[in-house]
Amino acid sequence: MPDRFHILIAEDEVLAAMALEDFLSFKGFRVTVAANGVEALERYATERIHALVTDLRMPRMDGETLIREIRDRDATLPVVVMTGYLTEDSDLKQERWKPLEIFSKPVNPRTICNTLHRMLGIPLEA
Amino acid sequence: MAVGLEELLDTGGFVPHGVCLLWRPDILMLHVASDVLIGLSYFSIPVALIYFVMRRRDVAFGWMALLFALFIIACGTTHFLSVWTLWTPDYVLEGLVKLLTAFASLATAAALWWLMPRLLALPSPRELEASNRALELEVATRREMEARYSGFFNNLGEALFIVQVLPDGDFAYEAINPALARIGGLDPEQLRDRRVRDAVKPELADLVIPRYTACRDSGKTIDYEETLDMPAGQRVFHTMLVPVKDAAGRVVQILGSGRDVTERKRLQEEVIQTSKLATLGTLAAGMAHEMSQPLNVIRLWTENTLARLHDNLLEPARAEKALKLVIEQTERMGKLIDHVRMFGRRDGGGMRTFHPADCVQSAVELVRHQYRHEDIEIVEKGWAAQLAVSGRPLELEQVILNLFSNARDAIIALRAAGGAAGRIMVAVGDDPDGYSVVIQVTDDGGGIDPAVLPQIFDPFFTTKEVGKGSGLGLSIGYGIIDGMGGRIEARNVDLEGGGRGVRFTITLPSQPVSSVDREFSHA
Repeated sequence: MPDRFHILIAEDEVLAAMALEDFLSFKGFRVTVAANGVEALERYATERIHALVTDLRMPRMDGETLIREIRDRDATLPVVVMTGYLTEDSDLKQERWKPLEIFSKPVNPRTICNTLHRMLGIPLEA
Repeated sequence: MAVGLEELLDTGGFVPHGVCLLWRPDILMLHVASDVLIGLSYFSIPVALIYFVMRRRDVAFGWMALLFALFIIACGTTHFLSVWTLWTPDYVLEGLVKLLTAFASLATAAALWWLMPRLLALPSPRELEASNRALELEVATRREMEARYSGFFNNLGEALFIVQVLPDGDFAYEAINPALARIGGLDPEQLRDRRVRDAVKPELADLVIPRYTACRDSGKTIDYEETLDMPAGQRVFHTMLVPVKDAAGRVVQILGSGRDVTERKRLQEEVIQTSKLATLGTLAAGMAHEMSQPLNVIRLWTENTLARLHDNLLEPARAEKALKLVIEQTERMGKLIDHVRMFGRRDGGGMRTFHPADCVQSAVELVRHQYRHEDIEIVEKGWAAQLAVSGRPLELEQVILNLFSNARDAIIALRAAGGAAGRIMVAVGDDPDGYSVVIQVTDDGGGIDPAVLPQIFDPFFTTKEVGKGSGLGLSIGYGIIDGMGGRIEARNVDLEGGGRGVRFTITLPSQPVSSVDREFSHA
């Protein structure tokens, strides 16, 4: 069941973070929210995290740096990126960052949820 | 005992002078011949003198010549009387003529000495010749100068005109140069010596006469930019009027020069438009981010609400909160869209009177979110701005956005070099003099190299690496501020707390007050 899985959301837009937290919790995940990269990294260091959902542009350590830091510690942690920027030529598209999925804002929370299920190997609910 | 004239002239008792000569014919002949020759010569001299004076009407002191003539005639007469008294002893008559001669001689001698200083002061022919030569040289020099100045007037590309201030204070065209005739499609002959109101179309007269009046009344040189509908089409001039005063200080003439800046103005507007598009381009990325944020919030909240609705778990309070949030976010997006829409307009909204603080406010709003993501804080202070300015609000906003963008670049560059930075201070306020509004944008990005500080407003000058900056932003900003009659300056400042940065100061004149109002306010 998803409640065994702990999702870390890194997003500085409080209203968006709150809604996503609410949605994923509603769908059974345990969710922790961090307002920036530094805070997210602290949470990652102290808590057992199964997947990261992150924004790219954040004050105090942006998403890309956060992903780099996390990849140094864990090569297989599923990462979902939500970005308001064009991502065509992003370095994050490269194979070495996988497992990693990129979504442009506005994101569909159901898609995020389904992607997390798939990446974490949780069977989709009927 | 009275002696009558007849008794005086009585020759009785005298012997003729010839007796003294013992009537020797040789001596008599000598005296007679000499005296007659002298007398005749003496009599001829006054004739010559009078002839000279009559012919040379410009002779100074002509009366002196008459005095000389009288004196010489008297002298001549005494010689004829000497001949006469050889045979007739009319010595009294001779004595009387001699007395007359004495008076004439005395008067002539006295007059001559009295006149001497003035006679000496009369220029000699040699002096006159020299002064004539000098005069000829001067005339030649003046002709050359006149040719040179009329060459200026006739050949200069700048439009030149001379306006006469008539005794009743009205204005008439004295002359216009060929350049003005060409640029404006005017006929110099049709304008010459005609009152301005009669010489040109009423609309044109209505535009130029207040300027001439301002120059006439202030007695000072004025310069301004004007857009005139001339017979040859609409032209933009940078015009300067210089008053010419008479000895009493009254303005009697106005010298005008106008540089046709129509083409430059058009190019400038084109460059402003281009840079606006460039600014828009750099803003586009930020805009995409700004737009995606509220959209994202809306999507998340609606999906959230929908999911709960499907599961029959939606409480009304939660639905209300979600919908209010959605409305808020659409308002946030609406503002952004309005802004982008206005930003693209070519005319920039036209010249009007506005409060610059509003421009600063909307510029701040446009970038605040974006900059916060880069950990750059915009600090606003001193909003005590009451005065209005005249211009295009969006152009001013563009200038301020450009300053923000430069400040941001400086902060990021300083951070990349290991420094700590991240504040942009912006302040708007009325100048204490009450005539202008001051806008200051200060960053803590380390400042500009003092060596390049004087060049930063030059077109295409940039300190950024190739591809990062067009080098046009500040020069266009300078043009915009200049067009509003204001000025923009930059200097390095030491900030409280040890930082260092650049401070841009924009000073804009408050909404122009008519000259009459200004006089009243000075009274």
